[in-house]
Amino acid sequence: MVLGNYKSVVAARSADNEILKGAQDGGIVTQLFAYALEEGIIDGAIVAGPSEEPWKPEPVIATTKAELLAARGTKYTLSPNISLLKEATRSYGLDKIGIVGTPCQMQAVRKAQLYPVGMRDVPDKIALAVGIFCMENFPYQSLEAIVEDHCNVKLESVKKLDIGKGKFWAYTERGAVTQIPLKVTHKYEQPGCHVCLDYVSNLADISTGSVGAPDGWSTVFVRTKNGEDTWGKAIAAGCFETKPIEEVKPGLDLVKKLATDKITKNQKTLEARATFGVGKGLRNPYI
Amino acid sequence: MSKVVEISPTTRHEGHSKLVLKVNDEGIVERGDWLSITPVRGVEKLAVGKSMHQVPKIASRVCGICPIAHTLAATEAMEASVGCYVPEDAMLLRYILQCANRLHSHALHNILSLPDMYLPGTDTKINPFTPEEPVRSVALRIQRLREIAQTVGEIVGGEAIHPSNPRVGGMYKNITPRAQQKIYDLAKEGRILAHEQSEFMIAVFKNFQNRDWAEVAGRQVPIPDDLGYHNQGYMAAAPIYGSSSLDDNPTWFPERWTEVRPWDWYMGEEEITLEDKDYPVGGTTPAGEKAWPQMQACTGVPLYDGQPVEVGPRARMVQFKNYDLKGAMGLQIARQMEYEACAYGMIEAVDALNTSGKVVADEIPQGDGTLGWAANEAPRGCDVHLAKVKDGKVGWFSMLVPTTWNFPTCSRALTGAPWELAEVIVRAYDPCVSCATHMLVVDENKKIVAQKLLE
Ligand SMILES: Cc1cc2nc3c(=O)[nH]c(=O)nc-3n(C[C@H](O)[C@H](O)[C@H](O)COP(=O)(O)OP(=O)(O)OC[C@H]3O[C@@H](n4cnc5c(N)ncnc54)[C@H](O)[C@@H]3O)c2cc1C
Ligand code: SF4
Repeated sequence: MVLGNYKSVVAARSADNEILKGAQDGGIVTQLFAYALEEGIIDGAIVAGPSEEPWKPEPVIATTKAELLAARGTKYTLSPNISLLKEATRSYGLDKIGIVGTPCQMQAVRKAQLYPVGMRDVPDKIALAVGIFCMENFPYQSLEAIVEDHCNVKLESVKKLDIGKGKFWAYTERGAVTQIPLKVTHKYEQPGCHVCLDYVSNLADISTGSVGAPDGWSTVFVRTKNGEDTWGKAIAAGCFETKPIEEVKPGLDLVKKLATDKITKNQKTLEARATFGVGKGLRNPYI
Repeated sequence: MSKVVEISPTTRHEGHSKLVLKVNDEGIVERGDWLSITPVRGVEKLAVGKSMHQVPKIASRVCGICPIAHTLAATEAMEASVGCYVPEDAMLLRYILQCANRLHSHALHNILSLPDMYLPGTDTKINPFTPEEPVRSVALRIQRLREIAQTVGEIVGGEAIHPSNPRVGGMYKNITPRAQQKIYDLAKEGRILAHEQSEFMIAVFKNFQNRDWAEVAGRQVPIPDDLGYHNQGYMAAAPIYGSSSLDDNPTWFPERWTEVRPWDWYMGEEEITLEDKDYPVGGTTPAGEKAWPQMQACTGVPLYDGQPVEVGPRARMVQFKNYDLKGAMGLQIARQMEYEACAYGMIEAVDALNTSGKVVADEIPQGDGTLGWAANEAPRGCDVHLAKVKDGKVGWFSMLVPTTWNFPTCSRALTGAPWELAEVIVRAYDPCVSCATHMLVVDENKKIVAQKLLE
């Protein structure tokens, strides 16, 4: 169950070269939203758009393909996408919202749907929730320290950031590649990530990440009825190339291993909180 | 020999109130007191010392049916005090919000009024909950009207109940072209429904006025021609929106306002001597109990030109449209006549709105303690808030809300009515007792220990 409930899992990538060019992996998120927008499945999507500062995302409501393209790529720092969830139904006038987010953000979406505290009119307006895999995240100052101090490159010059094969990678516009061991980045992690028990966005309609699939491809879990509908239509419309997950390397085994590692480690942190103090402990949000 | 009958609590209106009625041998009211018995929450006192941005958000919580009125009146009172002029597109958004709120509120009040009324031409009272036609269609239309209004309110106001978008200086956000289109479409749909609903309700109220009797507690109670007549004046600041002390020609005048304590206005201690166990549902107050309106009333009594006045839809119609229907049904009919204007108001304002226009003033002064006031024409009438802001903090705050104005006026309008129809008169005012009960500080013995007057 470390991978959550799902109806199918494949390796896939967008069939649109323009999307693939700036996408983190297979461009699944951007392609899905572009298709859903065009088909009227959603009338806008909350994504992590660019801001004034390099690699610092700002949640935006994209209603055009151009806005979706501008939000491609992983920003390894917090993007409070849920902060726009209610507003999307208000001054933006959306009826069918698409939203991308990390597993914790998918949890927030589902909680708002079931327990809409101060979230009037949100529950029935979530049309497509796309989750991305997430091992951990970093505050912006952490990202600055990792990239500028450890990788020795200016954030402004970075074209792509990536975590993979046990390393943190920074690619610059001018072609330089820096890699540092992930071990170095641990102290910069957001502490809240250490109690997180979800790796592959178990609560999304469709979830996707890089692990399991070859470079330029993504691993995609199709989870809900709604996700299955949209995915099926997008495939039929020729939006994606797919391969059975069994035929790609490293495949699902690695996804399962990493998910198990994350959950096991964080479960321990959670348990340790119960006896953190002398005769008293720290809060556990799961009980 | 007069007898005293008490209906407590009254029903099918917002809040907690009661009727203490002195009646003659025929059961006709000689002198009636309608009073709030809602606990005082003291918003005006706790506002002192808080920031000018926070107080309108607290004032909104005075009432959840007309939070728009309190939010806008309080925000604009702050703006009036500090001398802040808000951009035009912010005003248009507020105007749409105002129209949306009035539409929902009037539709909601239809539900509360209908059970007193008859299907025209029949002796069948209207039960809005019945699955049978024609009432079922009316109930569905009311629901859709309210849904439209609350959705529009949510888009421009940020939230239908306790709008988040208004702020001192304008609005936090403009809306997108998509939202603009959505409002337009909703208002167009609402316009047709509002027209149908208005016609239906007017026919129902006219029918009641023409009837000879209404059935209450199993009896046929005669309906007098002058049900709910009074000789008090009217007060209204605008047909739809309002006025403030920043206006070139304000339409409300603080110097004409005074206020007296319930002590000076209501009856003294009375013993209940008439009791009716059949009064629906649960009977009236048992004989032998005591009532003391002077001490129990939880509102002050505001006067305009030294008199209680009527505020609300009819006051607006009288002031701005030469309306002349008197009595309880005259008031009800005036309310229905406002329906369509709400939809048209939204359409016109949303047409005029520039969705890329700025909605916050460039400069928001912090205030030097000058008195500012703003009157908002709430669904139930003129809602005046007064404030003194200095260095961004509220030094003094006062709310004169519609139902507070109407309490003594409606009490006078009870005279001459069979006591069994007193609640029908009260409901014509669409009272919001929570709104009315926000002032005065009262100690545990119900003694007034603090009260403010305009310096
Ligand atoms: C903090 C973080 C940690 C991750 N960890 C892993 C991991 O351990 N293993 C793994 O396989 N994948 C991980 N991913 C997911 C991976 O990096 C890609 O985001 C994912 O594969 C989608 O790629 P794509 O080409 O389909 O998306 P694209 O088409 O490139 O679109 C990416 C979408 O993600 C949104 N996005 C970018 N950054 C954020 C953010 N910080 N918060 C919310 N939304 C954002 C963008 O707005 C965009 O819409 C992580 C992502 C993040 C943000
Ligand atoms: S590790 Fe968990 S809590 Fe941290 S960002 Fe990822 S999903 Fe959210």
